[in-house]
Amino acid sequence: MSVAAVPAASIPSQASPRERSRQRAIRRFRWSILAPLILLLAFVLMPVLFLQLYFSFHQWTVYLGSWWDAEFVGLDLFREVLTDPRFGWAVVRSLAFATGSTIGCFVIGFALAYLMRRPFRGQAFYYTVFILPMLTVPVVVAYTAEMLLYQSGPINDLISRISGIDFKPMWLTDPNIALPTVMLLEIWNWAPFSFIILLAGLAAIPTEPIEAAEILGASKWRIFWEVELPLLRPVIFLALVLRFLEAMAEFPKTWALLQGGPGTATETLPVYIFLTTWQYFEISKGAVMSYLVMLLMIVIVLFAIRLLRREKQSLDAMYAGQKAAG
Amino acid sequence: MRKSRRRQLTAILRYVLLTGWAVVAFFPIFWMISTSFKPDTQWFAWPPFYFPHPPTLSNYLNVWFGAEEYAATQYAISSQKPLISLLNSTIIAGTATLLSVLFGSVMAYGVSRYRILSETRMFQLLMLRMIPPIVIVAPLSLYYSTLGLLDSMTGLILIYFLTTLPYAVWMTKSFIDEVPREIEQAAEILGASRWRTIFEIVLPLIRSGLVATFLFILILTWSEYLLALIITKTQVTTLPIELSKYQGTTEGRVYGRQAALAVGITIPLMIVGLIIRKHLARGFSFGMVRR
Repeated sequence: MSVAAVPAASIPSQASPRERSRQRAIRRFRWSILAPLILLLAFVLMPVLFLQLYFSFHQWTVYLGSWWDAEFVGLDLFREVLTDPRFGWAVVRSLAFATGSTIGCFVIGFALAYLMRRPFRGQAFYYTVFILPMLTVPVVVAYTAEMLLYQSGPINDLISRISGIDFKPMWLTDPNIALPTVMLLEIWNWAPFSFIILLAGLAAIPTEPIEAAEILGASKWRIFWEVELPLLRPVIFLALVLRFLEAMAEFPKTWALLQGGPGTATETLPVYIFLTTWQYFEISKGAVMSYLVMLLMIVIVLFAIRLLRREKQSLDAMYAGQKAAG
Repeated sequence: MRKSRRRQLTAILRYVLLTGWAVVAFFPIFWMISTSFKPDTQWFAWPPFYFPHPPTLSNYLNVWFGAEEYAATQYAISSQKPLISLLNSTIIAGTATLLSVLFGSVMAYGVSRYRILSETRMFQLLMLRMIPPIVIVAPLSLYYSTLGLLDSMTGLILIYFLTTLPYAVWMTKSFIDEVPREIEQAAEILGASRWRTIFEIVLPLIRSGLVATFLFILILTWSEYLLALIITKTQVTTLPIELSKYQGTTEGRVYGRQAALAVGITIPLMIVGLIIRKHLARGFSFGMVRR
């Protein structure tokens, strides 16, 4: 192509017409790839977020007429929600539920992964059994839990038989136990998630530093704390952060099993929002709560993403190193 | 001598601990399967029946095929609804997952080779998945009702497509990143267009990864509950919603029927999950952890 025909001053870089048409083609290519995502965001997500904002400032419920001429109430609804103790308790409960179940999943997942980090006979069998709970539909977990946990049900029967004492807690109807029960279900359901991620992490640990430490005479305990654990940090963060976020959103088990009851004992944020919107039909109040929860979650997620980004870099570096090594 | 003894002990201890958890992990699943074969008198007998005695298929025949003669009248829920829900679930989960993987993998290619989304944007994409869906369901259902998408397959497919797209992009990207670029460059020199390069070279190369991604997202869409609960009403129900309808349809607890339905919902999921068990860690960690 005739590069000389183009005055040098008019082009910012060394782009020839051919190069420029190539750039254009690439730009077109990019936009056509992104188009479906942009369309989805523009026609599904954006209107929904707009509606949510609208309802947060307008008092409306299903009994009133069309939603577009609802009364503007300013910040009244926000005041109502923020002074609602039930909402405050739901926040506390959700955070407690998410924290407790995350730690539970992590402890069990880590123990299992650590026990299985080296090949042994039967490993594939245990792996298969351990991931099964993760592959059950959450609603199924809820209904199966009901079959297992009613007061004269099989779980109490089994524990009584094994321990010899009459063990009869009311797993589902005692307000003090109900939330821990759901937490246990969440742990049963999702410990496999922590397990597979940590196992993959343990399998990817390079052996050289451990061997080096062994040769230098370090104790097993010290190797664990000072060599293996730091190398595992990225996967540990991943297992904790992703599990915490999922637990904050947990709805199917809590709802299908207890609908927030007994009383308000298992009323986590998703359950309370659901009740407000679909049982009390306070659409606007539900929207305000959704909005506040969304803001809360955005703060948490942004923080989580910062952590994940950092850890992803060290993971990528580790995999790149492995590839280079062999 | 002492050392090998200790090693033996730790091996035994390991088997004991692992077997302990295996029992805990499997018992509820065992109970669900066992209950699904129990006649109605044993659903909540005291002391509990651990094995059905004698095992019966009546729960399955009644729930899935609406066979009346197997139903004690008070438990009869006669309709072929679950089969229709099965069809709905298959169509909805299948279509949404297919869309997600198709567009997700093309986007992933763009990100991997042309950086159409910066790393920051890629992480922002994850927010679609990390913000709890409960915060948008109310306005979503109103929006859908204005559009006439409520209680329709299209509505559910669209929202599943949107919420699983981040997984599809991230997971397929982790596979595409592992494909050497030389092959594409060779194709480009030979004059293949970008689209042809994607569909005829790159995607076939990560075939098994695409299958894994498809099955992984199928697990998510198949078991989704909240969105399906809100968006579907009477015309279109998915299996998890169908199962929750058995709660409270009659005064008595219909554990056997529920279990028969639950087994039918869960078994396909377990089979799918076990097929891709090697890829589960990659899927759940958005491709950040690889094996």
